[in-house]
Order: sequence, then structure tokens, then C-alpha cells
Amino acid sequence: MKIVIYTMMIALFLGACTGQFEEANKNPYQVSGESLNQDFNNVGAYFSSMLSSFYGDQVEENLVYESFTRHMATPTPFVGGVNNTTYYIRWNSNWGLCYGSVMSPSHQVIKIAKAGKYDVFESWAKLVRVLSVSRLTAIHGPVIYSNYGSTSNDILYDKESVLYTSLFSQLDSINTVFKANATYAGLKNFDKSYGGDVTKWSKLVNSMRLRLAIRISKVAPALAKTQGEKAIADGVILNNSDNFLINLNGNILPLARICNQWDDTRMDAAMESFLVGLKDGRISKFFAPVSNTALVSDHPDMPYKGIRNGATLTDKSLRVSFSKVNEGFNTVTTRRFLTAAEMYFDLAEASLRGWAGAGVAQTNYENGVKSSFADWGAAGVDGYLADNTSKPLNYKDPVSSPVNDFISRSTVTIQWNEGDSNELKLEKIITQKWIDCFTNTLESWCDQRRTGYPKLPYNYENDSNADWGVIAPNDFIKRMPFVDAERTGNKAAVADATTKLGGPDLISTRLWFDTGVVSNF
Amino acid sequence: MKKRIFLILIVLFALFGSAIAQIKVTGIINDPDGASIPGASVIVKGTTLGTTSDMDGKYTLTVNSSKAVLQFSFVGMKPVDEVVNGRTTINVKMESDNVGLNEVVVTALGIQRDKKTLTYASQQVSGDEMLKAKDPNFMNALSGKTAGLDIKQTSSGVGGSTRVVLRGSKSLNGLSSPLYVIDGVPMANNTGGQAGMWGGTDQGDGLSQMNPDDIESINILKGSNAAVLYGSQGANGVVMITTKKGKAGKTDVTFSSSTLFESVIATPELQFDYGSVNGALGSWATTKGNYQRNYVKDFFQTGSNLTNSVTVSGGNDKTTAYFSYSNNSAKGIQPTNKYQKNNLTFRSSTKLGDKLTVSTNVMLTEEQTNNRPGAGYYLNPLTGLYLFPRDRDFASYKENYAVFNKDRNMDLQNWFVTDDKQSNPYWIINKQPKTDITKRAIASITLDYDISKSIKFKARGNYDYAVKSNEERDAAGSNNTNVGKNGAWNYKKYDDQLKYADGLFTFDKKFSNFSVNGILGVSYQETIYGKGEQVNTGTNAMLYPNEYSFQNIPSNVRVQSIYGGRVIKEGVFANAQIGYKDMLYLDLSGRNDWSSTLTSTGNDSYFYPSFGLTGIISQMVTLPDFISFAKVRGSHSIVGNDVPFNVVNPQNSINGTGSGIDMNTQRPFTNLKPEMLTSDELGTEWKFLKGRIGFDLTYYNIKSENQFLTIPAPSGQQWTYYYVNAGEIVNKGFEITVDAQPVKAANAGDFDWKTNINFSTNKNKVVSLIPEFADRKVDLGSSEGYYNYIKAGGSFGDLYGYKFARNAAGQIILDPTSGKPTKSADVEFLGNLEPDFTLGWNNNFNYKNFSLSFLINAKIGGHVYSQTEAMLDGYGVSKRSGDARTAGGVVINAIQGTTAVTKIDPFLYYTAIGDRNGIAEPYIYDRTNIRLGQLAFTYDLNVAKLKLPVKSASFSLVGRNLFFFYKKAPYDPELTMSSSLQSQAVDNFSLPSTRTYGFNLKISF
Repeated sequence: MKIVIYTMMIALFLGACTGQFEEANKNPYQVSGESLNQDFNNVGAYFSSMLSSFYGDQVEENLVYESFTRHMATPTPFVGGVNNTTYYIRWNSNWGLCYGSVMSPSHQVIKIAKAGKYDVFESWAKLVRVLSVSRLTAIHGPVIYSNYGSTSNDILYDKESVLYTSLFSQLDSINTVFKANATYAGLKNFDKSYGGDVTKWSKLVNSMRLRLAIRISKVAPALAKTQGEKAIADGVILNNSDNFLINLNGNILPLARICNQWDDTRMDAAMESFLVGLKDGRISKFFAPVSNTALVSDHPDMPYKGIRNGATLTDKSLRVSFSKVNEGFNTVTTRRFLTAAEMYFDLAEASLRGWAGAGVAQTNYENGVKSSFADWGAAGVDGYLADNTSKPLNYKDPVSSPVNDFISRSTVTIQWNEGDSNELKLEKIITQKWIDCFTNTLESWCDQRRTGYPKLPYNYENDSNADWGVIAPNDFIKRMPFVDAERTGNKAAVADATTKLGGPDLISTRLWFDTGVVSNF
Repeated sequence: MKKRIFLILIVLFALFGSAIAQIKVTGIINDPDGASIPGASVIVKGTTLGTTSDMDGKYTLTVNSSKAVLQFSFVGMKPVDEVVNGRTTINVKMESDNVGLNEVVVTALGIQRDKKTLTYASQQVSGDEMLKAKDPNFMNALSGKTAGLDIKQTSSGVGGSTRVVLRGSKSLNGLSSPLYVIDGVPMANNTGGQAGMWGGTDQGDGLSQMNPDDIESINILKGSNAAVLYGSQGANGVVMITTKKGKAGKTDVTFSSSTLFESVIATPELQFDYGSVNGALGSWATTKGNYQRNYVKDFFQTGSNLTNSVTVSGGNDKTTAYFSYSNNSAKGIQPTNKYQKNNLTFRSSTKLGDKLTVSTNVMLTEEQTNNRPGAGYYLNPLTGLYLFPRDRDFASYKENYAVFNKDRNMDLQNWFVTDDKQSNPYWIINKQPKTDITKRAIASITLDYDISKSIKFKARGNYDYAVKSNEERDAAGSNNTNVGKNGAWNYKKYDDQLKYADGLFTFDKKFSNFSVNGILGVSYQETIYGKGEQVNTGTNAMLYPNEYSFQNIPSNVRVQSIYGGRVIKEGVFANAQIGYKDMLYLDLSGRNDWSSTLTSTGNDSYFYPSFGLTGIISQMVTLPDFISFAKVRGSHSIVGNDVPFNVVNPQNSINGTGSGIDMNTQRPFTNLKPEMLTSDELGTEWKFLKGRIGFDLTYYNIKSENQFLTIPAPSGQQWTYYYVNAGEIVNKGFEITVDAQPVKAANAGDFDWKTNINFSTNKNKVVSLIPEFADRKVDLGSSEGYYNYIKAGGSFGDLYGYKFARNAAGQIILDPTSGKPTKSADVEFLGNLEPDFTLGWNNNFNYKNFSLSFLINAKIGGHVYSQTEAMLDGYGVSKRSGDARTAGGVVINAIQGTTAVTKIDPFLYYTAIGDRNGIAEPYIYDRTNIRLGQLAFTYDLNVAKLKLPVKSASFSLVGRNLFFFYKKAPYDPELTMSSSLQSQAVDNFSLPSTRTYGFNLKISF
């Protein structure tokens, strides 16, 4: 009898149980898909996080293209002074940012948006992908785009020529939806850039088209012209109020943290050379003066000191007193992705290339500089534009001179001269575009590889070798290699991508848009 | 303190006052040679009333009836029954049990079994053995005392966590940590945060809250063969803790006090002759100066650890009770590191009627650690201390670690440089205080019901609850890599809970030649770990400086809800042991588990069997006289290993940076399976010369399949990572224990020597990992020149790193222009962490009232890596780098272009191989070390002669880890930076190794 009771007790004890397993295995602080249906968060709530994943941080941006473009330089001899900045690759992680934080979530957003027929959200997610992938291809060359979402284990990369064509056609279809839904109000809750105004996003689509068209203008002039003219006709961003800014969500701009909190980055010597040499009013908006006047004995009136990129640095403490970024960057709430100034400079180049609708090169150039000064809140633009004598300075490293010193390769001046050759005009345009693109340097890296402008100083220390590719002493890095995870985990596709790249998977192999032809016209 | 003891005594006397005294029996218990037997047990048959004999073999016991039967028993002796029959003096001469092995051990679920019948290896360590040199974390006292048990203590001072692995790492997921069980019931052991290469601090585990004085014995069930009844939880072995309980008829009060000191054995070898050049960070001058040289040594202090504990126990034939209080107060070798623990335990057992016994157990612990030392680069006082440029004035920075800043009207840090990896050491320990607090309660109740003579029922319920908080308050002025300008607050508070209940029937019956022991039961366990809140302001500026509260956090910092996971496990299990003529035993077990971590996969119910066979040869055939006992055993078991919480279908999360929702990008794992461990074990046990010498040999082979592996998804797939069940890992090994009594005392008080050797060797092999990516390496944590990879054909603990690039002649290839040593094209295999074998040799000598014991621990083979040494070289502060400058260069066998080089500039050499990401090869060290693990010298006071009002009193001098007989590595390789799987073979600015010495006092009333 008793045994029967005990057995029943045991049976009861167990019967009660596996029912709560599913609940038990959930994290109560995670958000289910069902909960996200509320307020359409299932399609909207990811955008903010995706947009903030375009740039990365110290090892994605600051020690990669922000260094290659000579905007910022590190005082820290990371990894024994042999690292990305001296052309020996240590950090190469933009790939994961694009696929992990943009492509993967957008894939799911697109799926949900398609199912729920949220056309604008679907197109918005597709645009976010274009914004991200167009950056990644500028770093590596061939990337995964059209085959994304396949379940195959060897997912093939897109050849750049194919990729740009598909990006343009993707922009077409996005804009069709945006134009048809110009008054759609659904984005409002999720759009920290344009407050949900679809027409402004549409303008960004046109502007991206122009940016990409300019990028490929040498390698595929016909396609570039068609796309560029289309973009110009559709209307690009020409007003600072339409600038595409990305909200920092209350977080500090990584550059400000890396510089002011970590003391790991400072003004680049090239920035000193150009901004001081050209007496550029934007310098005080970008950088903070140094307190030690001995550092700037060659130009005490403009007390800014930069560090040469690819320098020989024995010790971090030697150069932390050089110019930091302006303190205002500590509290900025947004960062630039695409501005009116950039568009004017693109239009100026388009004018030189004879694209229909581009307007007069000089006007575009001057509007670009004016937009830039206005955007950065700098004064004295008229005098600046009239200056036809100031030139970039030679650089002296006050710590180690003559080590790290350089003679400026550039002798560019500011004032437009209609009598100049197209080549010289382009140098002026790209130099000004380079200055404007501070904190938003990737496109400047593209310009520098594509056109050779501005004429930046080479590395003083060049540790490139056969491991990652050799960069000649009078040359610059061309690209970042494919990432290790792919080299080991997606071997066949990387081999295929290397063929598509048209050269070995090294930092010395030129990307498609970087033709290597010296003349730009 | 005294008041408390008094109070307890009063309670206890009230409880026991009801005992009725009738016949008082006394006597002496002797062995066959006439020597008295202390510690023999005397029990009134059929009751729980009993006592044990004293130092002289004497006992006194009061019985109710003249018909009472006294049962005398002692390990190694045949039990004796005597009917009282009106006698008041009963002297007993016990006969030695030739079998020598009527040892009763505690097996899974707390069930006692005759050791000789077991089909698997288990090894027991007595509480006394563990108390010889007390450690707040009782597991640390087990090192070297059992074969097959690998214990690595974190280098985080008193009360830090400990990594314990039985028979090798079996899983890439989790820690391969054993299950801890108190009196049959699992206890929670959730390990807190751990230090890594970049910094952090060990936040302790669940072991240190137990009072070591409460432990009667620990039995180690080494493999899943022994632990199958615990199901998946026991897959990595079980540490069975049996606690002390009250004994009927005997009231005991003991007081013990332990005072231990701790001092540094050795800091890294440093140079103090060469300073920096032009104020650089490194000390690379080539001319000697006269600089301060003692500040590293002076930084460390002598630590101390005071433990006082009281136990009161006793009972009558109805009720027994045990009470203990222990207070532990320690300070570490790093100034400001303190540890405080109070533990209160109460156990009672009451017989209600003649069939039902109710036992309860309550344990309360409060533990606080201040400034537990960390490791790694960040916010670690040792980086600044060791790397400090020699030409600067350390004393002034020590005195004035904080200086007044006029601009901010507050004290800020004073240090010679802003650098991510170093701060003023005195600022860190004084102005960046860390506090870890744990409050824990364990309460349990057990009902034992005798259904019939052979069938018993037991039901248990247990609730284990801990509230833990970890807090770090960084003052404004702390290192700006990690701390905002107004300071930083890193606060975490969470609780861990474990609910457990089981019910089991046991059956025990003899049928002529056969004996049957059976168990049938069910169990339920639910754990919720790490549920709470945390906030970390990091480098974000708090609103106001140096105020640490939720009100003061800036708007871009989120207070986050944290959740470690909830796991429910249910099991139904059965076990039968069938014995034939005391010579052959067959053991059959089966368990079905249901686990919530496998919900919706269709695999959440899984069964595993186990069987074993033991044959006692000495019972089957007549063996030569000198063989007293011989046994062979074998067993086979299959057990599922845990999978983690919430990987079947994880959801999205609101991200902590305020940028919205992070979409889940892990592919749901809807066909997840448990890892499967198949263990085979063979063993044999022999005793010779009436048990004077014996050995136990075990061979095991554990195959783990269906490893739970994380794989980054190919970039183009829609997920970022996914999990698979794949791979096979095999652990094979031998364990040998030898027990001997080279000198046996003829009479009590004569010289006596007992010795015990534990030998074990384990070979781990990763047979396969992921079939579709045959050459894929799983990175277990690589950082700073140290690569910890697992790949097919390799094994756990494989170390990889760059070697020197050498030509065919073996010469190091120097860079043709700079002359720097160059490194191999790729990282190469540099060695494996695990030792070839482990040896513990424990000895006990007794003579008159003196006893001496020592333990020698040896790990032979294996390799470890020191990032500390690489950094010291890179900064030019290692003694090596100084000696090389004095000698005018580093001797090298190298080639530059076509020129042979025999001497190289120290700066060129050490900055190329050292610092971060240099060449790992020179920083790989042999792990082999042999140490005096423990030494205890005890004097038992002759209390009778001295007419002291106490039952016994002893005084001992003890030491742990006193010195190394042999050690190659520049640090103690048995200390680990963290108890995680990743950083076992690496040291990066962790605390130097220490020796512990002091004295214990124990008095029983």
C-alpha cells in the first residue's frame, strides 16, 4: 500500500515538470519576435544599431583608413611599432562589422518586411546594406553581396565591376519605392537621421549614386557618366541641412575617446602640413592647439602639431603632447556620413569630366569649400578662397628630427584658376574634399588611391613584407587583405575572389577603381 | 564570541537533558598485538547511541538495558559484538580483518557502500587531513592527496576561485568542472568573473563559503562510472562532501584556532641598474646608475589568515545535533587586500517514532573580499610596479600617489605617464577599491523512513541561495583608458539559487549466497544563476566626481538586467548491485534525464546506462599468505554532458548602448543534442602483509562525443555564428595509489610511519572536431603572442606562438637591414600545458605525542607561457636584459644576410622578442615543479597527565607550499590567472607565488 503511495508521489512529481522547460530555457531579458511586433519594432528597431555599425572603432577605423588617409596618426608604437600604420597588418576587422552587424540583421528585417509588405522598410534595409557594402568593397575589393543569404558553405564574392552594377540597380529599385511613398510616415519612430522624411532618404540615394559614380569614373567612364548624370538629374544633397548624419545614440564619438581618453591618436603631420600651410580656418574646429610652444617653433602663430603616419616611434609618451582633436568632439551627438560639401566636390569633378548637368567646375569647387566652412563653423572662407600663394608646409618632428621629417610632396594652392590644367584643378578639388572629409575619411582614401590626390607624405617607416605584400617606399597601401576567418573558413571562395581581384590577396594589389594610370583624364 | 558559545551550550543541554542513565559500561579496546586502539567506534546495537575510544583506547558508554549489545568496530579490524549482560567493564581485543577493507565509503546520492564491492575507483580524504593547513577554499587542501585530481588555484589571494578537473578536460564548452555534493545533495558552484590578458579580477566561486571544519571526509568519485546516478551533472566526476554530525551519547565541544602567515616566494627577476633614455617608458639606458632597488620587494607585505572555529555536537538515542561557527579573517600580500568570512552551521537529526528520522541542515555564510588582486594589463598595480623606469623616483610616487589639482579642486593621480597599461600602484590599491560580498544560505531537510527491514525510503529537499555583489569604485584621476574623468562605477549584484529535491527507495537484502542492494529514485533540480543588475560607467563621465550611485550615472549608460541562466533537470534512476558470496559483484545503473536546456529539440529526454563488475580474487582462490586482498574491477558507462542555457532559440536583445535592438544572429539550434561521454574503467586493488602495503591501479578511457561547438557562420550566410554537435575528444590515463605502513607501532606511542603515493597520468587527444572543416582550429582564447588552439589531432592545452625564424643550420635569421631577430612565418606548436604525470607523496609519522606529516607534490612535464617576462624584456627591466647590457650583448647563434652573428645588442634583441606580440618561443617554460606542498608538526598534549580540564588538546606548526625542490618557470605554474578554460597556461602580471606557514591549536572539551 505504502509503496503505491510513494510511487504515485514520484509520478506526480515528474508529471508536473517538462511543461515549463520551454519557458525555463528563455532569457527573460531578451525580447521575443512577438513583443517586437508592437509599434512595428520588428522592422524598425534595428536600424539605429545597424547605422551605428558602419564605422567601428580604433581597430576598424582609426588604425586603418583614418591613418592611411593621413587624418590622424598614433603616438603609440603598437605591437613593437610594427602594425597597420607601418603597413604590416595587425587589425583587419571591418568585415565582421559589415556582415555581423549590418548584413545579418538586415537580412532578417528584409524577410519580415517582405512578409508584412512594409515596402519602405524593406527598401530602407536594402539601402543600409548598400551604404555598408559600398564601404567594405572600398577596403577589400570583391565582397559578398549578391550571394548573401545563401545556405551554401562556399559563398562566392562579387567581382567589383559586377558589384557596382548591382549596387546601382539596387539604388534604382530603392528609389522607386521611396518616390512612390514620399509621404510615408512609418519611419518616423526609428529614423534619427532624417526624422522619417522619405524624400530626404531619396536624396541620399541619389547622392550615394554620385559618390559611387565618381569612385569608378576612371575605370568605367561610361557607366560612371550614366549613373552620375542620373544622380545629378534626380537631385543630390546640396544643403548642409540635408547632410546625412548618423546619431551616436548618446555615446562618445570613438575618435574623441581614442584621442582624449586613451591618448592613442593625434593630429596627422599631413593635416598640419596642409591646414597650417594653407592657413585653413577649419584647423581650430578639427584640432586643439598644443600648449608646449617648443613643438611649433616653425609656426608659432598656428600652434598645431601632428605626428607623421608610419613614423618611427620608440615610445608613446614622447608625442602625447601633440595636437588632440578639438574638445568639442567629446560631446558631438552625430557624425558625418555624406555632406553637401562632398557632393559639390563631386560635381566639380563631374564638370571636369563633362557630365551633363554638373554645372561649372569653379562654382562647384567654391560652393564645396563654402559648404565645408559653414558645416564646420569655420570663418574666413572668402579670404581663403582668394589665397593663391599659401602652400602646404614641410614637416619637422620635434622629438626625433630628422627622423620622421618630410618635405611636402604637394604644392597645391587654394584659389581656383580657370587656366590650370584639369589635372591641377582635380588636385585642388580632391585636396579640399580631403580636408572636408575629416572624421569621415573612407571616401578620401578611395580618392587618394584613385587620383593620387592629395599628394600625401609616404610612410617613414615601412614594415611591409611578403607576409601581407610589399609597398614600395614611394607608394601607399592599396587595400586590406581578405580576413583570416574567410581565408581559413571559406577558402574556395577566397581563391575565387582573388581571381576576381585580379592580383594576389595582398595589400599591394590595386582595387578595380584604382587603375594605376597616372593621368586622371 | 564567548557569549555565543554559551548560548548554544544552553540550547544543547536543554535538548539532551532528557537522556536516562542506567548502566555505565567502560573498557579498553586493544588490537591483536595488545596495543590500544584510539578512535574505535562503540555503538549500542539498534540505536544511534554510541561513542568512540579515546587516545588510550578507553571508552565509556551508558546503556539502558542489560540486554543491550555493544558493537565495536574499527577500520581494518573485524567487528565485535558483546552483550552487556550486567557487566560494567568490557575489554575487547579486536582481530585484524585480513580482507583489510571493510571500509565504508560514501557513493553517489550519499549512499554508503562497502568499498570492496565498488566497480569503480574512488578515493577518500579525511577532514583531519584537510584541516592540517587550512585554506578557506577547502579544495586547495586536496592537492596531491588524490590521484587524477588536478587543482589549480587562481593567483587572486585568499578566498579566490579554484579550477578543479578530474581526469582531464572533456569538453570545449564549460569548465569540465566536477559536481560538488554535500551529504548527497548538489551544491551551487557558480564561478564569478575571471581575469584575462587585459585585466580583470577573479570574483570567487561557490566553494570558499563552506567551512572546512565541518567536513568529516571528502570522497572523490573520479569518473562518470561512479557518478552515473547524478546524470549529466556528474559527467565530470563528483566531489562528495560528508559533513560532521552529532553523535549519540557523546557531547563534544571543540575549539580550533589557526594562524597562518603568507609571504612571497619570489617576484620576477628584475634589474635596477639601467634607467630610461629621454624619459621613455622603457628602461633602455646602457650606462648604469644608482637607483632605488627595493620598491618591488617592499610593495608586498606579509599576509595573514586567522581562523577560529567552535563546534559543539552531541545527542541521545533520539536526537543528535551539530553546531559550528567559524570566523576567518585574512589579509593578503598585496596591501589593502582583505578577506572576512563568518560561517554558521547547524545540523540535527531526530528520530520520530521508530521508523522516521528527520534531519535538517542550515548553513549561513557571509564573505567579504576587499581588493582581490587581479591580473593582466589593465588597472593592475603590478604593471606600473614592475615596469617603472629605473631612473625615476619611485618613493615620491609612493608617498604622493594622489596630488591636489587646483583646476579641479580635488586630488588626482600622480604618475609619470599616461599609458593604458600602467598606473601608480598605490593609487590603484587605495583609490580604486574593489569589494566582493557573498551572502549565502543553504537549508535542507531529509526524511528517512524505514518501510521494512530491507526497504527504506529517503526524501530530501535543499535550497541553496546566494546573493553576490561585485563593486569597483574608481576615483576620478584613475587611468583614462578605463575610467572617465569623474571616476567610474562598476557594480554588479546578482543571486544564484539551486533547488533540489529527490526521493529514493533503497533495498538491501541477502538471499543465501546472493546479496542485493537496490536504489530507485527520482530527482528534480533547478538552478538560476546570475540573475541581477549591473552597471558600468567605464569611460563615460559620471555626473559628479567620486559619487557612486545609480543617480550619478550619465544618461548614455544603461543599468542592465543580467541573467546567467535557468536550468531544470529531472531524473529517474535505478541501480542494483548484486553480490555473490562476497566475491563477485555486479553493478547495474540507469538514469533518464530531462533537461530544460534541450527543450523543443526532441532530445530533452535521454537515457544512459552503466554497468560494472567486481571480483574479489582473494575470496575466490587461496592466495599466498602475504597477499591479504586482491580485487579486479571493470565498468562501462555512458553519460550525457550539459549544454548551456538558451542556445536552442535565442531571442533579440535591447542593446546596452542605447542604439536600439540587436537582432539575434545566432542560428537557432533546434536539433541540439547533449554531449555524450563513454567511459571505460578497469582497476585492480591489492593488499599485502595484512594490509601493511597495498596499491590500487586504475586505467580509464573516456570518449566525449557530440562536442558542443561554436562555429562562425560563413560571412555570406544570414547568421553570424552557429553551433554544431561534432567532434570526439578522448582522455586516457592511469591512476595509481600506494598505501604503506613501513614502520608499524607495536605499542601505542611507538614510532609509526604511514605513507601514501598518488600517481596519475592523463593523455588528452582531440580525435576529430568538425568533419566538414577538417583543418578548422577552435580558438580557446589567443592574445598577445599566445595562441591556444584546439584542432583535430591536437589536445587541450596546446600552446602555439611564433618561433624564431631559423635557417637550415639552426641559426636565427636576423633582418638584413635592422638586424632584429625575425620570427617564423606562422605560429607553431610550442608545447602542451598538461604534465606528463602528477605525483603526490604524503607521509605521516607518529611517535609518542608527536606527529609529523609532509606532502611532496610533483608535476612532471608540460609547458607554460609567461607574458610577464616578455613585457619585462620589452621594457628593459628584466634582470636578463640588465645582465646582457653589462655583458655587452646577448649571445646568439644568428645570421644577418650571410654574416654570422654571435652577439646582438640587448635593446634590439629584447624589444624584438619581448613586449606584446613578439616571439613566444623564449617565453615558453617547462612546467615541471616539485614542491613541499604541506608540512605539519603536531604535538598532542597529555591532558590526563597535565590534569587539564579538557578531553584533548593539540598544537601544530604547519606550512603549505613552503619551497620548491625544483622549478623552471619564472612563476608558479600551478597558480592560474583565471579558472576559465582559456588562460590556464599563461601568466600576465599575476600575483607572485607565496608560501604559507603558521600554527594551529585544537582543544576538545
